[in-house]
Parts: sequence; C-alpha cells; structure tokens
Amino acid sequence: MPLHSSLLNKPRLVEKLKRFYDYVQKNDGKVGTKTRGIDLNLNNACNLRCKYCFTNSPKGEQAKARLPLDVLARVADEADDLGYFEFDLQGGELLLRPDILFESLEAIKPERFYLYLTTNGYRLDQKMAQKLAKAHVSRVSVSVDSMNEKTHDEIRGRKDSWRKAIEALKHVQEAGMDPYLNITMGHYNAFDPAFEELLKYSKDNNYKTLINVAVPAGMWSQMDEIMLDDKDREHLNAMRKKYKNLVRNIWNPFDRENEKVIGCTTVNRLYITPLGDVLACPYVHIKVGNVIEQSLKEIVEFGFSIKHFSDHSPVCLAGENTEFVKNYMSNFGQTIFRPADAKKIFKNEDFLDKDKVKIAY
Amino acid sequence: MNNLEKYKECFLEALNTEENNINDNLKYAEIPEWDSIGHMTLMSAIEEKFEISIDTDDIIDFSSFKKGKEILKKYKIEF
Repeated sequence: MPLHSSLLNKPRLVEKLKRFYDYVQKNDGKVGTKTRGIDLNLNNACNLRCKYCFTNSPKGEQAKARLPLDVLARVADEADDLGYFEFDLQGGELLLRPDILFESLEAIKPERFYLYLTTNGYRLDQKMAQKLAKAHVSRVSVSVDSMNEKTHDEIRGRKDSWRKAIEALKHVQEAGMDPYLNITMGHYNAFDPAFEELLKYSKDNNYKTLINVAVPAGMWSQMDEIMLDDKDREHLNAMRKKYKNLVRNIWNPFDRENEKVIGCTTVNRLYITPLGDVLACPYVHIKVGNVIEQSLKEIVEFGFSIKHFSDHSPVCLAGENTEFVKNYMSNFGQTIFRPADAKKIFKNEDFLDKDKVKIAY
Repeated sequence: MNNLEKYKECFLEALNTEENNINDNLKYAEIPEWDSIGHMTLMSAIEEKFEISIDTDDIIDFSSFKKGKEILKKYKIEF
C-alpha cells in the first residue's frame, strides 16, 4: 500500500476511530450522538445522466456552485476537532474537474481523515488512481448497477460507462486504496439475480460492497414503491452473512458476526451542499444549518436537538421508514438545493431541551 | 487455548480470511481483508479476547502478525 493513503500512516485518524469504537461499545452498540463523517458535495456537475440521481445532477442544478476554499478548510478543521473521522467527497462527478478536487484535498488535509471519493469511475484511469493514493485518499467507491453492460449504461445514460467503472475499480485496487463497489438496492431489484451477481463479482475481486438503499428523493422523489420492505431487508441481512464484505452506514463496521446495527446516522454523518447548506444526511433533504454562516459545532448541536435524529433508529430514515418519508420528505420540489427547513417542518415537541442535548465528540 | 491460538483466532474472526493466511509473514494490507476497517476490527477482537485496551500508538505500529506479538508483550501477553 502506498505510504500516504494507509491507515497506519494516519495517527490522528486512528485516534478518532478508536474513540468512535470505544463509544459504540459503551453505548450498547449504537451510534447515538457520536460524530462520524462528513459527506461533501464538492460540485454538482456530472458527465452521466443517472435515472435515480439523488442530487438532480442530470437536471444541471447548481453545476457551477462550490464552497469557497477557506470555508472548506475551516469546516475540515472543525470536523477534525469534533471527532469526525470520515470525509466522503462526492458530486456530481468529482473527476470532471481534477483541479477543484486536488485543491480541495489540500484544504481538507486528508492525512487526518479516512477520506474517500464516490465516483462513477468514467475518468479514473491508472494515473489518476496513483495520484489520488499519493494525495492521502484512503478509499474510492465506484457505483455499478449491473454486471450487464447494457443495463448499467442505460441506467447511467452513457455508453461505455460500465466498462470504465469496472476498470476504475481495478486501478483503485492496484494503487493500494480500498476499492468499494457501490450498489443501490431497492424493492425493484432486491431479489433480482442481477443484484447477487454484483455481490459475487465484488467478493471474487476482493472489493468491499457498499449498499445504498434506494430513497424516494432527488430524481426518485415521491416514489415510495422503491423502498425496501421487510422481506427485502431480511434478504439483505442474509446476503450480509453470506458474503461478509458488505458495508452499510447503519451497520456496525466492527461487527465480526455481520449482524449488528449501529443505527441510522443522520447528523452523525452530515451532508454539505456546494452552497454550504448542511442536511441531516445525503438523503434526508432537511436543512439543519449552513457552514458559511455558522460553525459546525453549532449546526451539530442543533441537528442532534431534533429527536428524530438523536433517537436510535434501527432502519435508514430516508430509505426504510415510510412514516418519516411521508411526514418529512414528501414535499413537492424538496431537493438538496431546496431542502425543507428543520425549524419549519418540525414542531416544538420534536426538539429536545437544550440541556438534554448530549453530543459525543 | 494458549495465547498463540487465541491470537490466531482473533485474526481469523476479525478478518474472515483463510487459516493458511495467518502466519508470521502476514502484513497489514497484504490481504484485502486486512484493510483500514479490518485493522480496527482486529484491534477490537484482540482487546476483547485478551481483555486489554490497546494504545493508539500501538494500533499504528501493529503492522504485521509478527509485530503484533511483540506489541502484546507490553501488555503482559506472552507467546
């Protein structure tokens, strides 16, 4: 593994990871109010036209917007101080503008985070993979929809996107970063043999498989029928046991039995848009603050004062809790750039008293 | 079960890997299972099994199966 991207060369990251692990152990295996990760939409421009994009990239929304570098540097410093140990850079497609990506990496200082990119892999060649590894990137997640090239390309809206995604994963692995194959799972494909074919491919190639559950947001707004039901979830749990390399944000990453759930990570993993708005997570398009106007600490404290986000939920609020989706995610036109305002959609009884907000940094 | 067997079992359980991978030559990141998350899972398995708390500096130094045995001597675990 190249020196820079290795966990063993990131002492500050190890320190934060250890604190996270200790907290979860002491908190009955639940994530509680422990800070975990920042998901940053660096820039929303994209070269693909994915049918289910949750950021509305295919509609060209806010394609030029990005956080000023000084704000990004401050946010990264604050995140580090608050114990956030993961930093997920996403878009849009980050590799459309490597200049923006690398100057942002410099501002973030990835040597203190488990920093990773989520990409469609279209522009990730061998040279780029090596450059990313050198820039302290620990992991690259590449989204793949099917092992059938035609199906993937159709969903992604661009020919050759499957071949490039598959090649990108190989480049990531060869460069020594952690290769993650991202799959979106919904009610529509949970039992499709093509879904398991992807799991098998990932396992056979020694990748990790990140499961994102389909959420009725972005391009799929109002489409509740895509959400997992109990049978789908049961099937997913069986796949987790069978393949042992599956990862979900609500699962306990340290669980050797592959069955424990740490809970929904709203606010534990904040999502920041290119306009600086902070949402409870990438899929819950509810604004809890803005990093240009406020400190991250202030935003986190407000976010966790909302009971829905500080209370333990064993399922993903956006992708598996139909009640939550019906009540808070079904406003017409609610997107990452037009999020619902937490102060307006939640009632007084949805908030904890200030002195009861206990955050674990 | 002696300490070496317990130690090996931690690797097997935490990394979900083949038994023949577990030997003195095994180094961090040499097998796909021993990645960043695998490393922390391994540390937690060792902490639980031997009822110790490993210092951050030692977690960073824990770069191989062999090195791990040396580190654990600091915690009075003999092999």
